Amino acid sequence: MNSFYILMNKEYFQMIRDFKIIWLPIVFIFLGMTQPVLTYYLPTILGALGGGQGITIDPTMVQQEGGQVLATTLGSQFDQLGILIIVISMMGMIQADKASGMLAFILTRPVTVWSYIAGKVISNFLLVIVSVTSGYFVSYLYVNYLFTDVPISHMLSALLIYLIWVLFMISFTLMISTIFNGQGVIALIGIVFLIICRMITGIHPIIDLINPAGMSQHAMSLLFTGSVDSSIYVSLFITFLWVLFTLLVSHLWISQKKFQQD
Amino acid sequence: MLTINNLKKRYGSKEVLQGVELQIEKGEILGFVGSNGAGKTTTLNSITGILEPDEGMVTINGISKLNRLIYKKQFFYIPDTINVFKNISGYDWIHFVLKLYDNKQTGKLNEFVRNFDMDEAIHNPMGSYSYGMMHKMSLIAAFTINPPIIIMDEPLNGLDPTAVLMFKLLLKAYVEEGGTVFFSTHLLDIAEKICSTVAILKDGKIVLHEDINNVIGECTLESFFMEKQANEA
Repeated sequence: MNSFYILMNKEYFQMIRDFKIIWLPIVFIFLGMTQPVLTYYLPTILGALGGGQGITIDPTMVQQEGGQVLATTLGSQFDQLGILIIVISMMGMIQADKASGMLAFILTRPVTVWSYIAGKVISNFLLVIVSVTSGYFVSYLYVNYLFTDVPISHMLSALLIYLIWVLFMISFTLMISTIFNGQGVIALIGIVFLIICRMITGIHPIIDLINPAGMSQHAMSLLFTGSVDSSIYVSLFITFLWVLFTLLVSHLWISQKKFQQD
Repeated sequence: MLTINNLKKRYGSKEVLQGVELQIEKGEILGFVGSNGAGKTTTLNSITGILEPDEGMVTINGISKLNRLIYKKQFFYIPDTINVFKNISGYDWIHFVLKLYDNKQTGKLNEFVRNFDMDEAIHNPMGSYSYGMMHKMSLIAAFTINPPIIIMDEPLNGLDPTAVLMFKLLLKAYVEEGGTVFFSTHLLDIAEKICSTVAILKDGKIVLHEDINNVIGECTLESFFMEKQANEA
């Protein structure tokens, strides 16, 4: 059996034992559910809490379109709390193996560094795909129920575009986890960098082209407007280059045994 | 079988390995001894690929590290510190390791598990294992995989007397079937009972590589080692 599949199976085995395979989708389902529900019931909640004083809710205000609410699920929930959760749940990907001596153990076995890295990235990416998709799908159901319907083609296309940004989040966290040894440092760098990436979208068209978080922006604009900008293909290509870059750095770091000199 | 040519490794200003030269023949049980900091673990790490030496070359059966996967299938390494998954059972761990070596012959696995008295514990999480039990698991994996050479760093650490006896018996059987063993140790009295040859490493250089019977003619390996250390100082 190919060592990549063996290592990937090991990762899934570990995820099952750690219950990660259960709690991560649940967290994203919760995140996906809260955005449409809160948006819909916010005026009622404010009224019930007696928060009417000083707050005026315009009764003529046009209710948000379903696509807009679904877009804010991505932009507000997944790109803020979601980033925190993804980085924290993935920060030990390589760091834990370094700390336990497992990485040294694996490297003395008939396994290539690429198999090891691919096993980590693909297994974790698939888990996050399932988690994000579950949360997004629940959000979609609530949006369709509480707001206007979102065309299924828009919903699926936006999800696929958004998952490219998620792939970058994972490969970047993997690289940081390979280079640094402290979980606090990994979490700090990962979260700050990814949130900055997300915050600077829309500042300048050139930045959007090279910024992997631009994929999230494209997904949101698809849900808002029903179409995507032609620059998405360039963004997509550059995001894949970034992913490749993070994987190459991780490979170089491990194969040159730099982790041993710490 | 295992050839080490001019192995050099430097940590900062300290040259830990200063041109290690060693040749181990098939069927040999080589005890690799030396004081703390002599460079034993660095040598083992350089052979097994945990470290990249600054200079020198290692081949096993004529295969160099350039043929990474084939090279790594030539040996099974048991490190001094065994850190494995804490929350999986010994049974799952050993099958994971066997798969990495593409080893489908698990016929002898149950026999080795019984020999090392791990029949019940093998289904418990490895986090509950003592150091000795983890060492037993590594030995079971090594003997089941049956590679051309087994490389070990302090293999007797943490083993109970019964396990030490079983280890000696299995080592003997493994070598009789054509295996080769290279291990580092501080336990010279046990080394002289197990080894067919001994190599002494001092300050990053091999100062002796001899048949054990030539070394312990009228003295013990311990006294010989102490004398050698004093002479080289």
